[in-house]
Amino acid sequence: MTDATELAKAVDSTDPSVGLRAVAALRQLLEQLEALQVENARTHRWSWQEIAAVLGVSRQAVHKKYAGRLRGR
Amino acid sequence: MFERFTTPARESVVQAQGAARRLGDDHIGVEHLLLGLLAEEGSVAASALSEFGVTTEGVKRELAARRGPARLGPAEAEALETIGIDLEAIRRRVEESFGTGALDRGAARRSGHLPFTKQAKKALELGVREAVALRHDSIGSEHILLGLVRAADEPAAGVLRALQAPPEAVRATLLAKLRRAS
Repeated sequence: MTDATELAKAVDSTDPSVGLRAVAALRQLLEQLEALQVENARTHRWSWQEIAAVLGVSRQAVHKKYAGRLRGR
Repeated sequence: MFERFTTPARESVVQAQGAARRLGDDHIGVEHLLLGLLAEEGSVAASALSEFGVTTEGVKRELAARRGPARLGPAEAEALETIGIDLEAIRRRVEESFGTGALDRGAARRSGHLPFTKQAKKALELGVREAVALRHDSIGSEHILLGLVRAADEPAAGVLRALQAPPEAVRATLLAKLRRAS
């Protein structure tokens, strides 16, 4: 089966557990990519304000989520 | 706050931090305090919880059922494939830029002291108040448990209910026991 038909089949699927699992995994992927990119931005001396602006969230939100996590690394 | 804590009470807070860390969490929540109390086997709180049939394994199982995947494994790769996302391709790209294991580093454990959640802090504060109300000189594991069941938010409250130990019932039983003892 080609990738396209495989994909069409999945999009077509109305089984909630398939769709919800995909969303949960996507969220996890997003979190990990975000953490990686924020860490990289801090390494490049970006301010929390600059990071927040590009992410489209408040400075407080990004600081609260990552400031403690990145300290001591 | 911890000066008047008994050794098991203090130890349970240390254990709570360990539990949070092992679960990959970056805060100490009420659910971690619960695991910390259970880790102090033989303490008044642990005994009270075991009378309700609440065990470390049970709490961990219920917690796992309430949270999503902690890391991107084969199951997540398969789930992402159903919406047309190739996790391996993303992993390769990320590793090209940031080195081997970079994507999973995003989920890496936090180092140093973990902060308490608002409700976990409240649980400890209420625990201190419970000791005062009972006219006990020191704060033991039992007082922490009394505070914990009052401040229990999700997932802790749901976990306790699922294990047939509703927070209100744990509190009533433990209070009755402590009043009898004094």
